Amino acid sequence: MTKAKQIAIYGKGGIGKSTTTSNLSAALSDLGYSVMQVGCDPKNDSTTTLRKGKTIPTVLDTIRNKTGKLDNIVYEGYNGIHCVEAGGPEPGVGCAGRGIIAAIELLDSNGIIDDYDPDIIIYDVLGDVVCGGFAMPIRKGVAQQVYTVTSSDYMAIYAANNLFKGILKYSNKGGALLGGVIGNSIKNSTQEAMITDFTQQTDSEVISFVPRSPTVTRCELDGVTTIEGAPDSAQADVYRELAERVIKNENKLKPRPFYGDDLSEWASVWINKLLLNEKVERDNIQADGSGI
Amino acid sequence: MSSQGNHNNQCNHNKQHGTYKVSSCKRKKIKEILGVDLNNKPEAQAIDLDKITSPNREQRAHGTNIYYGKASELLKDAVNQEVTMDERKFQQSGGCVLNFYLAVRVSTIRDAVVIFNAPVGCSSSALGYRELFRGVPEALGRPAQYKLNWMTTNLQQDDVVYGAGEKLRETIIEAQKRYEPKAIFILTSCTTGIIGEDIEGVVDDIQPEIDATIVPVHCEGVRSRLVQTGYDAFWHAVLKYLVKEPEKKQKDLVNVASMLSYTWQDRLEIERLLGKLGLRVNFIPEFATVEQFEKLSEAAVTAPICPTYTDYLSRGLEEKFGVPYFLYPSPTGFENTDGWLREIGKYTGKEKEVEELIKEERAKWEPKLNSIKQEFLNISNARKNGERLQVLGALGQGRLVSQMPYFDELGLDTPAAMAQDFDELIIDELADIIERNGDFNIMVNTFQAAEQANVTSSLKPDLTLTCPFQGGSWKRDTQVTRIHSLRGDPAPESAQSGYSGAVAFGEFLLRAFQNKSYQKTLSEKTQPAYQDWWYEQDDPLYFLDKQSDENKGVSK
Repeated sequence: MTKAKQIAIYGKGGIGKSTTTSNLSAALSDLGYSVMQVGCDPKNDSTTTLRKGKTIPTVLDTIRNKTGKLDNIVYEGYNGIHCVEAGGPEPGVGCAGRGIIAAIELLDSNGIIDDYDPDIIIYDVLGDVVCGGFAMPIRKGVAQQVYTVTSSDYMAIYAANNLFKGILKYSNKGGALLGGVIGNSIKNSTQEAMITDFTQQTDSEVISFVPRSPTVTRCELDGVTTIEGAPDSAQADVYRELAERVIKNENKLKPRPFYGDDLSEWASVWINKLLLNEKVERDNIQADGSGI
Repeated sequence: MSSQGNHNNQCNHNKQHGTYKVSSCKRKKIKEILGVDLNNKPEAQAIDLDKITSPNREQRAHGTNIYYGKASELLKDAVNQEVTMDERKFQQSGGCVLNFYLAVRVSTIRDAVVIFNAPVGCSSSALGYRELFRGVPEALGRPAQYKLNWMTTNLQQDDVVYGAGEKLRETIIEAQKRYEPKAIFILTSCTTGIIGEDIEGVVDDIQPEIDATIVPVHCEGVRSRLVQTGYDAFWHAVLKYLVKEPEKKQKDLVNVASMLSYTWQDRLEIERLLGKLGLRVNFIPEFATVEQFEKLSEAAVTAPICPTYTDYLSRGLEEKFGVPYFLYPSPTGFENTDGWLREIGKYTGKEKEVEELIKEERAKWEPKLNSIKQEFLNISNARKNGERLQVLGALGQGRLVSQMPYFDELGLDTPAAMAQDFDELIIDELADIIERNGDFNIMVNTFQAAEQANVTSSLKPDLTLTCPFQGGSWKRDTQVTRIHSLRGDPAPESAQSGYSGAVAFGEFLLRAFQNKSYQKTLSEKTQPAYQDWWYEQDDPLYFLDKQSDENKGVSK
């Protein structure tokens, strides 16, 4: 069994998980680590920015098409990163959760991970822990640490809170524990404060804040990570810092998620603050009302 | 047949213990004749008991259940790891990883409970255990009480939607309370596999409160199309959870795990032969006690009856507990039985006794075998100007390699053979058979009766062996068909193993030629199962998805 540090990154769809993950992988590999990134999403787009915008055949399609050779499922990306996409069904059919289970079992039982023997394996997992399949990476024997990417958007925090429930479910059974929260798309200090407060309320911890940046978008459009496309930018430094912290981070937290309506009650206070903050910025007035 | 004797001459000196390996001079010969270099064959994967279960046979050894062609071609493909699991556009049947006899066999384990973590229907075949075994008289060793401690989590809609961990937990507690067993086997199903139930999580959590050892077996039907996967998964669980560190090594204990399609008489014959050597047999899994599983680690050797079925257990016992094993030959036919006993003799320090036993047994049984052989010869002389009688066997891949030399002993030709599945684990054995018996056609399918009917109709063998699931027996005008038996068959004439079994099985085959009323009745009373166009089809794999075949080995 591999001795690699294995982490899983979860978060609400569209929140910047794959962007963050790919930049993290790129930064880790620049630091000299051998990295394997495993996209666990039927959309098959986790690793595209590591491969100049090109998608790769997925594990499940490779099996399904009888092309037979399991050697053809690991593709080299930026700086030698081992890219894998689990794959899965077309939207609206089949069972994506079973797909994740099957793909991870295939990787594991065929010695593929052992063959490449990476220092770090990062699973980039679709959205919420909606079913048993999407919990596969956090079960005993796969990842040791889970990170969640969230913005200050309520639904993103809601998804993070759900993930905490999933972690707790497996926490007594040898499953992965929480490494920390990555705050993404941060525009102002109120958003940081909200995410920080969420982590304090739930016995978790922020690992890094990643500011919203047009550089990221531009690089994505060019099919590359920020690390590759704009290595000298401040944003690249942010990802490098994140990589350093992930490497050092030994956190294995058992989070204490909100249940029932507690989360929305907690959030409503913060949403008012965020709205006020927006108004202040938009109308260019001071928070204490003193005007220009 | 003399080449069989090679097992003991200097040609075979580099045979290693563990997997059967053909000798270097034979390897050279095979390379010359067939162009296949056995030195390049893929190594068997190590067994990793840290994992929750075994890989499926497709992954573990490129298993397949669709092939028709020359055995030598299949061998070549296997060595190059190019055997593929292609698609059929039409299938008649198939095996279930849970239910193709894993369920019914686990159900017979003494002082244990079996929990089907499944919708209730998935457990129904377990009820077959009674039909299967009630014919065995107590006098022959079947336990008087063999009630089934059978529970099911009866998974329903709500369990699929909300998860069924709690239900499994409650069932385990109930199993402990109700039966006070020594072991609780959990058999998983497609349903638990698809929803991703965390069975190990539940087991780890509840085990401290439960006296019985909980043994979760990952036999989800969707895992694999090869029923062997279910057996590998079962042995994985047995090795991981049930087998104990040896308290002492038992020099006289021989582990024998066999598939269901060997009869009760075969058990008795094996016990008789090993008993004469002063050895005891640890038969698993049918009717074994939990303690017998725990003590698997104490045996002197694990001996095969079927190499493909025993493979995972044998390797696992050696890797984890240092119990040596061999996988070839199995005790079918005289020569193979000699070889099987000699192997056992080596590991138990009974070499001398084995030679005496072989001599004694051969003196007793060989005249009988010879007279059967003579009768076959008489039939062929009368019917075919001396051409040998042809037999077509439908067997598991394990029996394929053990039974073909036996047919040769009887003076029968084997133009083709059928196996339920095929994988890289029997490369050496297949190479050996081809080298000894010449090339032959091989058909691999799991219960595709139409394919078998097609091959049988085009080859027109004098005798066809089949099993009920392979399409059973059907109308044949000029030839005869016999159906092989299962473990529950206690009749002496159904035996196949060892010396007495070789004679009994020879007589069984011979009777098919002497009394044709079965065939006659079938011909008179039944219609052909298929229309003429099917019997006239040149290609028994007519329904192979050619598209998937063209994709073979092509990477996109």
